[in-house]
Formats: sequence, structure tokens, C-alpha cells
Amino acid sequence: MTTQSSEAATSPGDAAPPPPSTLRERVADFLAYEGELLDERQFERWLELLDEDVSYWMPVVRNFEHRRPDDEYTRKDKDAAWFDEGKQTLMQRIKQIQGGDHWAEEPLSRTTHMTTNIRIVSATESEITVKCKFLLYVNRREEEVRLFVGKRTDVLQPHGDSFLIKKRSIFLDQSKMLFKNLTTFF
Amino acid sequence: MDLESRDQPLIDVQSGMIDRRIFSDEEIFEKEMERVFDKSWLFVGHESLIPKNGDYFLSQAGREPVVVTRDSKGEVNVLLNVCTHRGMPVCRYDRGNAKRFTCPYHGWTFSNNGELKGVPLNKEGYEGKLDRSRWGMIRARVARYYGSIWATFDESAPSFDDALGDMAFWLREFMMGPDGEDDGLEAAEGILKFEIPSNWKFGAENTAGDLYHDVSHNSVQRVGISLTGLRTRHVWNADKNTFRTLNVTFPAGGHAVRANLYDTPNREYFSQWSQNPEADAYFRDAHYARQKRLGEKERLLNRGGVVFPNFAYNSANRTSASVWVPRAAGRTEVWKWVFLPKNAPQVVKDTMRNYLLRYAGPAGMVEQDDFENWHSAQVGSESVAAERLPMNYQLHLGHAKWAWPEAWIGEGALVDEGVSEHAQRVFYDRWNEMMTGKPRVFRREAAE
Repeated sequence: MTTQSSEAATSPGDAAPPPPSTLRERVADFLAYEGELLDERQFERWLELLDEDVSYWMPVVRNFEHRRPDDEYTRKDKDAAWFDEGKQTLMQRIKQIQGGDHWAEEPLSRTTHMTTNIRIVSATESEITVKCKFLLYVNRREEEVRLFVGKRTDVLQPHGDSFLIKKRSIFLDQSKMLFKNLTTFF
Repeated sequence: MDLESRDQPLIDVQSGMIDRRIFSDEEIFEKEMERVFDKSWLFVGHESLIPKNGDYFLSQAGREPVVVTRDSKGEVNVLLNVCTHRGMPVCRYDRGNAKRFTCPYHGWTFSNNGELKGVPLNKEGYEGKLDRSRWGMIRARVARYYGSIWATFDESAPSFDDALGDMAFWLREFMMGPDGEDDGLEAAEGILKFEIPSNWKFGAENTAGDLYHDVSHNSVQRVGISLTGLRTRHVWNADKNTFRTLNVTFPAGGHAVRANLYDTPNREYFSQWSQNPEADAYFRDAHYARQKRLGEKERLLNRGGVVFPNFAYNSANRTSASVWVPRAAGRTEVWKWVFLPKNAPQVVKDTMRNYLLRYAGPAGMVEQDDFENWHSAQVGSESVAAERLPMNYQLHLGHAKWAWPEAWIGEGALVDEGVSEHAQRVFYDRWNEMMTGKPRVFRREAAE
């Protein structure tokens, strides 16, 4: 995993870093790796990290009254959402971006994915629930900048030396989307 | 910008030329707020979002912030979300249920129908003489139309029905379920609100009728997102019956529709949701039920259109609507409403919702390319060098006919066939009439 992830960045002759040992280190390394794949536009390799039945969801956020906290996010499988995807439709989005005719991503945007405050909420042999904060910077053509900041809850499944993403819930800290398009994966 | 006395008109629909400054000039924009938006009926929402007494949600009547309520008597109100004392929004939650709204600044309190109910220091400060009936929230005139809610603050505007004219059939049809049942839609919870750095009219003219822009959507056609099993974005591409493509416009109101007129009455159903058999069975039944309900007009497929000025809908099993909220000449907030067939099985609602969210809005694989292009078009409308040449709207100029190809399409309908910028010319003709007071070019009486 570590060797793979540093292919693009590591110059020949660099010594391989020591493998991560604790579960937390392995999870943090995995999240950094998949963000790196997206930033390097290796979308198919990123898709391989998703479980066949992955749920990828970003609800709409509302300004809510203090006594109605359930109003903050739209409900999964019931309401509108920014994203409510499975592996098949994520693959379609990747194919759309890769054709050279998807004007919203042609020319391709520059992205930098950052994940921090990584915390393992629960872990069994088959399932690890991880919370983190994300900061995603997108720069497009000359002047267009999108800054997405928010929280993420991921459910990972151990898979060989690595993990598969079974569930990703993305909670963006914006009620009105301050930008015109969501052409980036989180 | 003096709109009345310019030598060169901004809008010349007879030659199909439009000055770029209507997209970029802030003075023109401010005049639009007074002369177009303040004088028009504007879509503010759908009754399915406020089923119970006391329910409310925030919306926009053009640039004006409003709160849409179902009051304690069950009536629908559209209230300017502005305290009559010092201008604060009195409601700051996107939705909820309340008997009254209290302004956070000085505590003036209004009931959910807008009446002023409470004023701190009423006796000590106002000696009990404040005329509460005069200081209630500013109320809009409200029209309820098959579930949709419309509002205007202009007391002298014509009635909603008069403003709609022969567009009524199409708006009513849009608000039907797929089986032709009136008031057959419900709005999904969660309005998608986002922002495009472009003028509001780029979205409006595109939805009015721009069948020329298919190249924008090559990428989604290539991938295919409809559940037809075909590589396409529209389910109706699976309907093999032959049809004529119509740009149906209603010049008196500035409204326009994109439509198919099928050659054969009572055409058979071709599977349009084959990837999901349960949904396909529903739409098959709905197809035949709709034929019975609509009579001779069942030959029409309502693909989408614009209720002038800023309500743009997509139909033909893509039931969603955009409201273009004008913020500045080069800045438009979009409110995207997703509609589902109210009485359909849950599996059909889920299928539709997922399809629509992949089609529309900032994550929509179709509309992303539109937003990118409108943003780019703004660059050309802000270019001083490019101002030497107006924008070109000459595609298929001069072929439209009144009440055609079938008389029942309406006396007020001016229709062009095929790929044409006719609907855009009609949109700007009406815009020009409201902005300058000069008569429209497209008038039935002028043609006769």
C-alpha cells in the first residue's frame, strides 16, 4: 500500500518508509492515499478502493431551529441530496470526466484533498467506522476557486493489507452551495 | 443606461440581435428588478412542503426574501421576510412550524399570517396608539395552481390566470403526475441552492428553448444516465414513435415550451425504464392513463419550458424546476426543486429521485455543463471589445406560425418547428416590452 501510494511522488533511490503499524496509522495512511489518487486523477484506481455496494452520500444542509436539530441534514433514501451514489454511478461520473468533452471538467480542475482529525469511532474485525474533517481545494481554469470544508464519516472494511470503503457520508459546512458545480469526488 | 432614447435598441428580435449589455450592465439589472420582477407573478414553492397548519419555508420571490406559510386557518400566505420596524428577516430557519415570528432585533412579533401581534413597550412607548393593522408583514398576492404557489407584490399586475394565458395547459400538465392526474406531484425535501457567476437570463433563455445546444451535453449522452438501457440522458429517447419538435411560445406573457407532437394519436408505450422493471410497469400504466385524461392533447410531450421571467421547468419524466434568483448582473442564485409523483409506489419515487439528482443541479451530469457554459458566456457579455457586435439570435428566423400545427394548441401560441431560437426571441420581446414600454413585435393583431 505505502509503496503503491508513493509511486508518483517517490524518486528512485528513496528508501521505502517503514510500514504503518497501528490501526489508526493504517487508516490515516489509507485516507491520505485515496485523496492522493484523486488529486493525481487516477480515478479508476480510486474506484477500486470502493466496495461493490458502496453508499456515497452528501446530504443538503439546512439552517434549522434549535428545537428541530433533525432538520439540519436531508434524510438518506428519502430526500434530495447533493450526492446519493453507488459504485455504478460513480463509475459513470468518472467516464464522463475522462472523455475530454465534459466541459465542466475540461480542462481538468486542480484539486488538493486533505483529511485531518482522524478518529476511529469503532472497530470490529469486519468494520471500522472513522470520522475525519476534510478540506478540499479546487482551482479551475484561471480564477475559479472552490473551498469545501466539512466532516466525513467513513465505514471501512479490512481488505488484504488495505481497506475497502463501504460507506461514505459527507457533511459539507455550506447550506447554500457557494459554487456552481460539484464535479469533484470527496 | 437610458433604455428609451438609445439610437440602437438593445433588443432587435426582427433581425435576431441582442445587445450584450443586457447581461452585464448593473443599471439595466436594477431596472429589471423594478420593471420585470416586481411586476410579474413569481414561483415561490409547492404546497406539499407545508402540509400542516403553521408549517413554513423560506423562499425567494425574485430578489425579495419571503416566508411561505400555511397559517392557523390553513390558508397559504407569502410574506416579505422583513420586519416592518427595522428591516430584519423575522424568520431565519429554512423551514419549520410556528404560530408566530418574533424579530430578533426589537421583538416585534407577527402571527403566521403576517399580522402584527406584539410590540414591546406598546403602552409606555407608543401610548397604545400604534396602528397594528398598518404594520403587519408586507403580504404578497398569492395564486395557488395545482400545488404550485405563485406570488407578486404588485397590486396592479393582472391576475395569475391572465398572466399565464394559454401557457396554462403546459404548467398544469407539468404539475400533473405521469398518469395525467392533476396536482400529482410532491416536492422532495431539500431545495438545492447554489450560485452561478452569470446573468439570470442565460438560464431562462436556455430553458425557454435552446435545442441548438446539444453539443454541450455530448459527455452525458456518451455515458447515458437514463434507465432506458440506451446511451442517452432522456427516457423519451426510447419512444420509437415519430414526432415533430415544436417551440411553442406565448408572446403575450413571454412564456415558452419545448414539445414533441407525436404523429399518431394514442401511440403505444415503448419501454422507457427497462433497467428497473417495477418503474417501467408504473410508467406503462401511467402512459395509457394519461392518454385517457388528456384527450386530443395527449399527442403532446411537454419537455420543459419557462414561465416568464424566472421559473424554468424540465418535464417528460424529469420533473424538476429551477428558479433563477437574480443577485447582480453577473451573479445568479439557483433554487432547484425536485418533484416526484405523489401517488407512485416508493420504488418509483426512489428511481426518479436518483435519476433527477444525477441529471440536475451542481452534481447533475447534464446541468454541470450548462452552468459551466453560462459562466463562460458571461465573459463575452462583459467584453468591451465584443460590444461592437450584438449577440446572434438568428437561428431559424421568420418561420413561426400562430395557433399551429393544430388549432387547439391555442390562439395565443406562436409556434416554430425544429432547432430554432424562436423561443428566445419571444422571451426577449416580452422582456423589452416590460423594460421599455414599447409594444411587442410578436402580436397576433400585428400579424393579421
